[in-house]
Amino acid sequence: MRVGMLMLRHPPTRISPVMPAVVEMLKHWGCEVDIIYPEERVTPLSEVRVEHDLYILKSGTELALSLAGTLHALGAPIMNPYPIAAMMRDKIISMRILEAAGVPVPETYITSHPRQLAGLLDAGPLVLKPYRGSQGRGIHIIWDADELDDISADEGPVFAQRYHKPEGEDHKIYVIGGQMFGVKRIFPAKTYEEKIGEPFTISSELREIALRCSRAFGVELFGFDVIMSAGKPYVVDIQSFPGFKGVPDAALRLADYIYSALQRSLGGEPIISTLTPGRQNGVAL
Amino acid sequence: MRAVVIGAGRIGCGLAGQLLRASGYQVTFVTRDPRVVDNLNRNGCYNVVLTSSTETRRFAVEGISAIAAADQDAAVQAMAQADLIATAVCSQNLPAVAPLIARALSGRKERCNIIAFENMPSVGPCLRRLVAADSQCPEEVERHGFSGAVISRMVTRRVVDPAGQAPLTVIGEMVEDFIVDRTALRAPLPGIRGMKPVEDYQPWVLHKLYTFSAGHATAAYLGWLKGYHYIHTAIRDPEIRKAVFNAMAEGQRGLAAKFGEEFGGSRADLEAIVARFENAAINDPIGRVARDPQRKLGAEERLVGAGLLAHEAGVFPEQLALVTAAALCFSNSGHDEPCSACFEHSQAAEALNQICGLDAAHGFGRIVARSWAQLAPSVLPGNLLLSLNRRMWAIV
Repeated sequence: MRVGMLMLRHPPTRISPVMPAVVEMLKHWGCEVDIIYPEERVTPLSEVRVEHDLYILKSGTELALSLAGTLHALGAPIMNPYPIAAMMRDKIISMRILEAAGVPVPETYITSHPRQLAGLLDAGPLVLKPYRGSQGRGIHIIWDADELDDISADEGPVFAQRYHKPEGEDHKIYVIGGQMFGVKRIFPAKTYEEKIGEPFTISSELREIALRCSRAFGVELFGFDVIMSAGKPYVVDIQSFPGFKGVPDAALRLADYIYSALQRSLGGEPIISTLTPGRQNGVAL
Repeated sequence: MRAVVIGAGRIGCGLAGQLLRASGYQVTFVTRDPRVVDNLNRNGCYNVVLTSSTETRRFAVEGISAIAAADQDAAVQAMAQADLIATAVCSQNLPAVAPLIARALSGRKERCNIIAFENMPSVGPCLRRLVAADSQCPEEVERHGFSGAVISRMVTRRVVDPAGQAPLTVIGEMVEDFIVDRTALRAPLPGIRGMKPVEDYQPWVLHKLYTFSAGHATAAYLGWLKGYHYIHTAIRDPEIRKAVFNAMAEGQRGLAAKFGEEFGGSRADLEAIVARFENAAINDPIGRVARDPQRKLGAEERLVGAGLLAHEAGVFPEQLALVTAAALCFSNSGHDEPCSACFEHSQAAEALNQICGLDAAHGFGRIVARSWAQLAPSVLPGNLLLSLNRRMWAIV
């Protein structure tokens, strides 16, 4: 049983114990796990081959995504599948897919130059984000048209969403194999303790949103951010294979899910079990 | 020496057939699945993969044949000529095979021993009764031996190539021991590798059920509540691991009080059992271990039987009660409505009585009823137990 993990090495100062624990458990259970850091080597493109029974696309870097796309084109089973991970990485695509699936998202606009958004500010402030950004980096709340002049127009498409003032902490919903976990945390979470946050029980409204997200992309391993504003939830970001910080027994649950996907892959079945069972015995998600 | 094994599933091939062949028997399987009959006859062998925490052995069991159960005359003839008959068909299927055994024993001069490799207390006397009921001369049946077998080996998978070309493969543990009831068999006793005849068979049946099987069920039903897929995963969850030890320890204390310390066992025995649960090589899905919950919730079975015995011994069987409640939730799941919809106190009392033979108002039944009432409202479709200790659930 060979597993290839496309990873990004984090600086030693960043505490990230989940994936090392997942790797240790998979090895303990008899899997041969190869960690692939695309940024740390020269990969001869002509020699890229499917050499593993399952690939785990953990890294979201451009190089990792392109390598995953190459493996995908060669027929490799990848979790999450490259086309879905690529769509989720792009907020323009992912927000439109979510909106079409009936997920509550803020009004979203795209343009080529920030100044073109000025007219929209009459209806209230906007949030500008890098369209391929992550971890809260590069986010600006724009209240006044003059502030748009401070936003660089040289970083590709401009992605803007209507600002809804958040009430309380951010809500992260994580989904592992169709199982849902809620974690509350302050924004932006900077320390490890802040990122761990606090588990919360998911309301039926948030569960329904998670189901819609899952069905919209056809995945069962992802996370999304929800803000509550004026009593209404808004999904403001979605991530393929996030860090799952704060999920109880996250490493064990991830290892369990990856192992089961590997068994399905070896058995010639689709690696995504179904989009329904949250548990076995036919209990629907 | 000839042996017929009725059932070519996991235990039939992965234990009975393999050990009989290793003991010098010519082995013929009788099985319902025509694909398996074809496969065994075409290849004349099957593969066995046996694992422990430290090693894996692969070998072929050769020189075997198979008869379709539908070909009753051929099956009866093979059994009539056999020195030993084994069953491995799941206990609920014994009534279907009893008439074949009755026909095979009819008019037979030589004594025959029948060993039922079924996970069920009192299976030997039960099979004897079934065969006698189907026999034209019931008193003849007394001449033959009928014993159950307390099996240690877990055999988790039988892989049949859908194309039917490659030999089928069974995957299980390396342990070979199995216990039979010496008093229920007829002389001469068969010589089978791993067989341990004992005089006090019933306590050994309960010993396995109330320690190993209770622990296995604990890992499965609590693992299900927490959303794991495999026993080897669930057992790494600290809360489940502790619960498995606690449930087995409650079982041990009941056994020791009833039958003596020898049948209770030690903490080291429990650690050895947990080490077996950790073995990922046998790849045991929680769905397999948890299935058939109503049978496993029977009054003499691994959870309720162990709980009753512990309670009788003055132990408060809190863990066994919780796992029994989890098994009841599992039994009620699989429907669109939440488990709580099935849970009304009056219905719960009735279900406890019907399924488990328990009185919800007294003793162990009362402890189970309380645990069930606590769990049931949260066992909603898609909900997940995040913390056993804090009773924290993923979804409101």
